[in-house]
Amino acid sequence: MDVSDAELVEQVLGGDREAYASLVARYRDQLARYARRMLGNREDAEDALQDAFIRAFRSLDRCADRERFGAWLFRILVNRCRTAGKRGARDRQRFVHDAAALLDAAEEHPADRTAMREEIERALAELGAEQREAFLLKYGEELGYEEMAALTGVGVSALKMRVKRACERLRDLLEEEVESVRADG
Amino acid sequence: MSERTDDELVIERVAREVRSPVHLDAAFDARVMAAVRATRLPLRRRRVLAGMLRQRRVMLSPIGALALAAGFAGVVAASTLALYAPATKSVTPAARGAAGAVPATRRLIQFVLTAPSASRVALAGDFNGWSTTATLLRRAPGANVWSVSVPLAPGRHAYAFVVDDSVWVADPAAPRAPENDFGPPNSVVTVYGASL
Repeated sequence: MDVSDAELVEQVLGGDREAYASLVARYRDQLARYARRMLGNREDAEDALQDAFIRAFRSLDRCADRERFGAWLFRILVNRCRTAGKRGARDRQRFVHDAAALLDAAEEHPADRTAMREEIERALAELGAEQREAFLLKYGEELGYEEMAALTGVGVSALKMRVKRACERLRDLLEEEVESVRADG
Repeated sequence: MSERTDDELVIERVAREVRSPVHLDAAFDARVMAAVRATRLPLRRRRVLAGMLRQRRVMLSPIGALALAAGFAGVVAASTLALYAPATKSVTPAARGAAGAVPATRRLIQFVLTAPSASRVALAGDFNGWSTTATLLRRAPGANVWSVSVPLAPGRHAYAFVVDDSVWVADPAAPRAPENDFGPPNSVVTVYGASL
């Protein structure tokens, strides 16, 4: 049976820094996915994620509900992504072809899927940060609105509106892809 | 096929895309753990929201500190204003003595907390290594007001109050530390000027 988050946190606070590696391994993939989609490029995503892990370690004693370390860590990452997004230091790289990311998953029709992925990535980058954040939490992380509100500090009705507008904007931006989507079914 | 269905298909496709895995650099974990090993272990401390507490931060010159020590704590505590005395204000030897041996490059900053039910209040900040025992506030006789004056170098300092060794409280009257994006936030005090 896996060691619980609370037990790992206690081990770290008890002086066993190496136990933190298990927490990193446990959450890095989920968090990397969010950061990558939110920030639009691998470099910024890894920077934000590393920053989040280190900030979480420094303040681990402030994690009040240690069984929910993952949610606490995710909140830190959301904030780091907001800060990184405002900096916009690497905006120019947002649309640069990311060969590694495009090879992330096996595709039945690689050429079509790659084109579609590029279009989706471009459309996500066109959204405002607030809409992109809300959309990714809703559809990427599949969170409920109450969870999203707790995570972001934004009200449920405002989040619903952001998701609705994000969907409308994505639909408009990807209108030309509708036919291929329909064909793919 | 209806337009509505097409819309749903588009969003479904985007959702599938944003749920697909992302590969990190192979050395990512090693980099994080290297940084962790170089970072001081966090202290064990509990941090709980304290809705019953009201806080006020007051910055005073040594003259103000002397007045407070002479019995005007209640007046200061009743104020909702954060006071700031210009760095050019003169200081009497008595005031300097009352404030203790304050280095010439520092300013005396007074922190005040109204905490009716507290039995012990400490000030923790980057200026005392976030110690929960090094800087204790004193309770004004017959009042719910706790205060302490601390000589701080010019610059920006993050701090929080620690009540009864367990309750960490930021100062709502002060700016929040922007980098503290987890748990109850810390507060920030900016000390201007140079000498007393």
